[in-house]
Amino acid sequence: MKLHTASEVISLARELENKSAKFYQDLSQKYAKDADVFLSFAKENEKNIVQFERAYYGVITDALEGCFAFDLETDIYTFEAELAENVDVSGALKKAIEIEEKMTKFYFEAAEQSKSLMADVPRVFAIIAKKRGGRQSKLKLLLG
Amino acid sequence: MALLEEPIKEVVTLKNFIGGEWVESKGEIKDVVNPATGKTIARVPISTKDEIDAAVEAAKEAFPDWRRTPPVARARYLFRLKELLEENFEEISRIQTQEHGKTIDESRGETRRGIENVEVACGIPTLMQGYFSEDIASGMDEWVIPTPLGVFGIIGPFNFPFMIPLWSAPYALATGNCVVVKPSSEVPNSQARLAELADEAGLPPGVWNVVHGGRTVVNGMLDHPDIVGITFVGSTPTAKDVIYPRCGATGKRVIAQGGAKNFMVIMPDCNVQRTILAMMTSFFGNAGQRCLSGANLAIIGKDDEFYNSFVNGVVDAARRMKIGYGLDESVQMGPVRDKEKKERIIGYIESGIKEGASLRLDGRKSINIAGDYPETCFLGPTIFDNVTPDMKIARDEIFGPVMSVLRMKDLDEAIETINRCPFANGHAIFTSSGKDAREFQYRIVSGNVGINVGIVAPMAFFPFSGMKDSFFGVLHTQGQEAVRFFTESKVVIQRWL
Repeated sequence: MKLHTASEVISLARELENKSAKFYQDLSQKYAKDADVFLSFAKENEKNIVQFERAYYGVITDALEGCFAFDLETDIYTFEAELAENVDVSGALKKAIEIEEKMTKFYFEAAEQSKSLMADVPRVFAIIAKKRGGRQSKLKLLLG
Repeated sequence: MALLEEPIKEVVTLKNFIGGEWVESKGEIKDVVNPATGKTIARVPISTKDEIDAAVEAAKEAFPDWRRTPPVARARYLFRLKELLEENFEEISRIQTQEHGKTIDESRGETRRGIENVEVACGIPTLMQGYFSEDIASGMDEWVIPTPLGVFGIIGPFNFPFMIPLWSAPYALATGNCVVVKPSSEVPNSQARLAELADEAGLPPGVWNVVHGGRTVVNGMLDHPDIVGITFVGSTPTAKDVIYPRCGATGKRVIAQGGAKNFMVIMPDCNVQRTILAMMTSFFGNAGQRCLSGANLAIIGKDDEFYNSFVNGVVDAARRMKIGYGLDESVQMGPVRDKEKKERIIGYIESGIKEGASLRLDGRKSINIAGDYPETCFLGPTIFDNVTPDMKIARDEIFGPVMSVLRMKDLDEAIETINRCPFANGHAIFTSSGKDAREFQYRIVSGNVGINVGIVAPMAFFPFSGMKDSFFGVLHTQGQEAVRFFTESKVVIQRWL
């Protein structure tokens, strides 16, 4: 499905953040050794939502291209957040990296496409994309 | 895509808010219909002369105490109102979509812009400071005190039901005046909700009043000797022939904002992709029902390839636009406000065809409404090519999703053509040349000028300007000019003998 309006993209970003937060919460329960890292990711997801909602609701104006800001294909970015019963830690970490790659790509693309909106929205998307890039490195380190 | 939840679930008859009380009107009752669904969402009274008189009386009574309330304390009421507006941001936005038809992104934008005016007015302790000269002569001083005037009438239009009264009301209140707001009877719900929040913010009774209705209320305001000024946003004929002269005749201050016919000037060196997006919002945002909408697209130069590719790009983008109920987040354009407005717009489309313009996209036929909604108020984007400046569709304000494409040989011709237009609200240029942009903004007669911006809506801390037949008055709404409009200069000269 293609998304065009700012409202749709903000809703998708919220959905992805919530799904990924749930994934990390599940992960923290399953693998106690690195629970702190996973829980910090889940917490950061909540902050991300606050950040982009603040940017969107804070600067949205009737005058800029809110209804024509995007041309995003959702299928590329959506992911399955359930952990299989028999998955081992390495499989779970690979899945986490895969999720982070998709979300990084989503935020980069959203930042690029939302340049017609006031600068705060693309800037926040770009900041989150960068943070997610950092997460990938951390996850790769855990994977060894 | 699932619809966002509708905030108005029950049909109630709205009441007037007079002297801090919700009062049932004795006037005739009219249905308020959601233009997307065709369902009645409220009933609004067409209030009587006695009711507007009662509201003015309540405001007049509240004025002496309110005026004595220190500006810093008045600002605190506005801070509280701002908090309440933030807390209810989403509900207020969805009400606008339900009553008006605009998309949820547009409604949220409108809510934000309304709130920004409350925020700016919160700075009133600084904004309404006077000035002082010591020793104008030996031992003598002189100073100016901006003082409030009394009761102001605020008449709102249908196209921005929540935001436009907030271009005036926060400044009027912050400076110590009292207000009577008349919302458009077509879209009264968001103003009714705003009055509830103003009440919750603790504003003293009579400071903020709302009287629903039509001409009787407007005439009651215009004729009332205790109303010292009016702010109005609506059509040019009403602004020019009714509001402005009658305020003059009765000695009232006036801000009367009228219609527009905005030109979007496209230079061959513009960023095509971004400009096409901007054109979609400019011409078709709010279904073209705004005084800052693009109306005429003027493409500059003799380059046929550029001309054709730009027009094709615009037509393709407009054709792909998703039309439907604005509470569906994926919808890019909602319906026009009502059937009569749609018929009026269709009349213009027919006139364009008769006058020989080429219809590139016919909004009467290409409507593909997302969801199961009656076609009654829906109209697709319409694009005419080969339009000349003398055609009716290039001259009149259509106030709908209709684009007229004109071709001009150079920027000079464009500026001269635009400056012959009687309206001067929000013309814009799209270019990557700083020189052309400067030339345009320097020579163009327009209250608001856009450079690579298709909807030139000034932020709350700038005046919402307008010139020629788009504006009647001297000072404008919003920001410092609003503060000046709502205050009178009292000059004091002192000498102690």
